[in-house]
Order: sequence, then C-alpha cells, then structure tokens
Amino acid sequence: MPTRALGRTVLLTGLLLLLGVALGRVDLVLLAAPFAIGAAINLHRRPKAVPEVTITADEEHIVEGGEVEAGITVANPDVIGYDLVVVRTRTSPWLRLRHADRPFAITVPSDGWAAIDLPGEALRWGRQDVGPAAARAAACGGLLACRPIVTPARGVRVYPVTEPFNATEAMPAAAGLVGAHRSRRPGEGGELAGVRQFAPGDRLRRIDWRVSLRTRDLHVAYTLSDRDAEVLLLLDVLGEVGLAGGVRGSSSVLDTTVRAAAAIAEHYLHRGDRVSLLEYGASGRRLRAASGRRQYLTVLEWLLDVRADPVEESFVVPHHISSSALVVVLTPLVDPRAADMLAQLTQSGRYTVAVDTLPTDAAPPVRNQWTPAASRLWRIERENVLGRLREHGVPVVTWAGAGSLDLVLRDVARMASAPRGR
Amino acid sequence: MLSSITARAGHLRKVLSRATAVPIMIRFSVWLTGLLALGVAWPAPLLASRYLGLLALLALWPALAPAGRGGTAVALTAVGGWLLDTAGFDARVALWRVLALAALLYLAHTLTALAAVLPIDSIVNLDVPGVWLGRAGVVILISSVLTVLALGLTADLGGSAFQVATLVGLAGATAVTVLLARMARRE
Repeated sequence: MPTRALGRTVLLTGLLLLLGVALGRVDLVLLAAPFAIGAAINLHRRPKAVPEVTITADEEHIVEGGEVEAGITVANPDVIGYDLVVVRTRTSPWLRLRHADRPFAITVPSDGWAAIDLPGEALRWGRQDVGPAAARAAACGGLLACRPIVTPARGVRVYPVTEPFNATEAMPAAAGLVGAHRSRRPGEGGELAGVRQFAPGDRLRRIDWRVSLRTRDLHVAYTLSDRDAEVLLLLDVLGEVGLAGGVRGSSSVLDTTVRAAAAIAEHYLHRGDRVSLLEYGASGRRLRAASGRRQYLTVLEWLLDVRADPVEESFVVPHHISSSALVVVLTPLVDPRAADMLAQLTQSGRYTVAVDTLPTDAAPPVRNQWTPAASRLWRIERENVLGRLREHGVPVVTWAGAGSLDLVLRDVARMASAPRGR
Repeated sequence: MLSSITARAGHLRKVLSRATAVPIMIRFSVWLTGLLALGVAWPAPLLASRYLGLLALLALWPALAPAGRGGTAVALTAVGGWLLDTAGFDARVALWRVLALAALLYLAHTLTALAAVLPIDSIVNLDVPGVWLGRAGVVILISSVLTVLALGLTADLGGSAFQVATLVGLAGATAVTVLLARMARRE
C-alpha cells in the first residue's frame, strides 16, 4: 500500500521537473534529483509478502505472582528486508508484561526474523491472554506500508496460589475400599479397634498371644480398616462480589473460592482421598471424583475456567452427590438460594461444611446517604442467615487459610459418629 | 467548545507524557530540517522580518502531524521561496545553496516518512533510524555529486543551460512517468 510519502515524492519530482523545464532552470531539476534518486533506489525492489507474527508464551506451570516469559516473533518471508515493523500487542490486565502497552519498532532482515521479549509477572489466576498482536511493516524507505497483520491471542494458564492448608481431623465418612483414613468398620488396617475371640478366617499373625495365654482361648486383635473418602467441593459461582486485586491485592469472592478450593483439593488429594468438584451455577460444571497427583493437576485446570455464572430462576441442588461424601461448600452466602441449598444438603443427610468466601471489606458502592445504613442492615440480615444455618447444623467458617476447617471438621466427625436418620 | 479544547489538551498531555526519546528526536529533526530548508530557500530580507515566526510555525506542522499534508506544504513553500528569491530578488544561484536546499528538503521528506510510520510512544531499536538515515545519506551523496557535475557543466556551457535543463527535465519526466505506471500496475 503506497503511503503519503510516495505521493509527496511523485508530486515534488513532477512539479520541480515541470517547473525546471518550463522556466529553463537547471537548479529546480537538481532539487528534484534526490527525490527521484531516492524513489529509484527504494522502489527498484519491492516486498511482496506480509510479515508473519507469532506469539510465544510459557507452557510451564505458572502460579499467581510467578514470572511469565512471553514474546512476539516477527518473521519476514520476503527477499527484501523491512525497514520498520511496528508491533503492538494487547495483554490481559492480569499479566504485567514489561512495555507491553507500547508499540515496538524493529527492523526485520530479508528471510529472517526478529524477536521481542516480554518478560513479566502473572498477577491473577485464570487463562490470561497475550495478544492479539498486530504488526505493520513499512518498506522502501517508508514509501510503502502494509495493512496491519493481526495474530490471535495466546492463552497463558496461571494456576491459583494455594495457601498451605492442613486439616488433621478425621473424615466424617470413609467410603472407598482402600485409603488413609481409619473407617468405622472393622477390617484390615493399622488402627487397633479391640480384641475378640478367634474365628475361622482370621489371620494367624493377628493372634494376640498375651490375651490368649491369659484367657486360655485364642484371641485376635482386630483393627479398623483403612478407607479413603470422597470430598466434594461445591463452588458457589452465582455472583462475583468484591474487587479482584491480584495476588498481592484484595481478593474477590471468586479469588477466595478458587484459591481455597485449590488448597483443600491439594490437601485431600495428597492424603489419598478422592476429590470431585461441582459448580453451583447456570452451567453446573462437574469434575468427577478421582485421586492422585493427576487429579490435582486436573482440578487446577478445571479451576481456571471458573467464572461468575448467574442464573435467573431458582434451581435445585444436583441429586448425584454421594451420600457419604464430605461436601465443602464455598459460598459468599449472598444469594438466598445458596443458603437454601446448604439447608437442603444438610437435611438430606450429607456431611456439609460451608466456607464463607465473602471478603470482609465487601460493600456496595456508596450512592447516597442511605447506602451505609442499608449495607449494615444487609450485613445484620446475613449474620442472621448464618446463625440459622448453624442452628440447622451447618458449620460455617470464614476462609482464613491454613487450619480453617479443623474446628468444624471435628464437629462434623462427631455428628457423623452419631446414629443417622431424623 | 471549551470542553472539547480541554479534552484535546488533556489528550495531548497524555500523548506527550507517554512519548519516548527516539520518536521525539525524529520529530524534532523534521521540524529543524524543515525550518533550515525554508531558511536556506527564502530571501534573507523576508527572513529578517516577522515571516520567520510564521515559517517556524509552518515547519511545526509536519513534526506534529507527519502523516498529514504538512510535509508537502513545507516543501512547496520552500520551493516557492526559492523561486521568489532567485526570480524576484534576483539572487545568484549559488552551488552551496542548491546543495543544502536539496539535501535538507530530502532529509525533511524522509524523516517525515519515518515519523509517519513510527508511533510517538514506541520503543525503537536503534538500527531503525540508523538504516533509514544511512540510506538517506547515500541518496544525498549521489544527488550532490550530480548537482556539482551538472552545475559545473552548465557553467562550462555558458548560455546553453536551457537546453541541458530541457534534456534532463525530459529524461526525468519520462522516468517519473515510468515509475508511476509501474506503481499503477502493481495496484
């Protein structure tokens, strides 16, 4: 595409030559000479191909607050070099890449390439985009320029940072056949449950010789079998509240939800339990239960796509929740449907723990003098809901990182050991 | 009206606060070469008057809006001043003035072309202006040699400058026509 500089060259050369010829002035012809020579030198070979832009981004495991290596490569497939390529790129606001908000001006040699490094930092979890990038090449001394070539964005996966989380309390119900928790059923395991008389089928190495000698009858020590448990993390994504401020800033509801879910999942998966995830939102995404490190990576990947997913009409909790699973509900308890859902879960006999993810400083924007009073009223009403939930036997705990769940898990375990049924 | 002016001023301040060194230097060079070309071309008595301020303002146009018509306007004004000086004020066509005017006009033109494609807030690799100015230097060198030869030739020939100018002009006009035809075919 010719630029205005080419038009200026042609106009000045033509005008000066015409005037020179018309007025018989050799000096005017000589003034036109650099323009004509410049055009001849620049235009004797012209590029035919447009630049090729590729965006490169880290494929490695990046955690919020970690470093990101992104870059843009501009390749020149032509036999003529580009005098100037201006590259602009957009990036996600949660990637702080050095100078990514400015255009870069580089030269690209013929049949070669030039790279722009964009080192930076990832500020928040999620799929963060580098790009789209646009490149505009100018050749032939700025007499020709191409239209911008746009390359689609490339996603960088930034995983949520997991605060070290610890829960030493027993799981309320162990469901599987093998695992790390002591169950309430006798079986092969490490936890001593008692001593009873020998019965056919008992292993000889289980015989308790001291008791047998004293009672003059064969006795065996029996143990509780080791079982794994299923943990279901139910993520309330009906709405987003609070201001997301990145890894070092304030946390919004979804930030807390995702980070807490990652921490809880990491903890239980590390202990050999099975963890499944479910979204409480319009789409109701679900991740089936599994265990192991592979599941941990799947959980992290699954968490990247958590979005606020509001739904208009009332809807019920999905029924396919295992009755023996420990249900950890991560909810800001802003939507009344979330409280209803918690109550339903508890009524149906699930072991439920609610984690309050509402940021302490969350407040609606001040519109008039009644806003603070209204917010206070709403806070009081919410406290009321929390109190009623606790009365119904739903422990509600505010997420505070490590050890958040210990106290309530003890309560749940105690409730679980009581006879079931209402 | 007032709000649009303040909005424009705010925009200008934002642009200037983001500007980087190399594009600023290139735009300053556009202004300087344009002003020098006007200074060389225009008659000295007129330059001493208040016209100098107007010319400096005119030279600012391509520096502020290099993608616009400012570059053409400055070049045409310089050529007009040159014609005025040599025809109206009967100044002698000195070799140094032709050399300087040709070089400055071309430099202003090529720097305006660079400034037009270079955003003012861009991070510039230093080889960009290097390659650009290197090529401009080659062009100016060739045309200077040509100027010295041609002016020497016309001085030798004495009064036959008209025929030489006609011949060179015809050749140049043919070359430009061929160039334009090639550009049109490419489109």
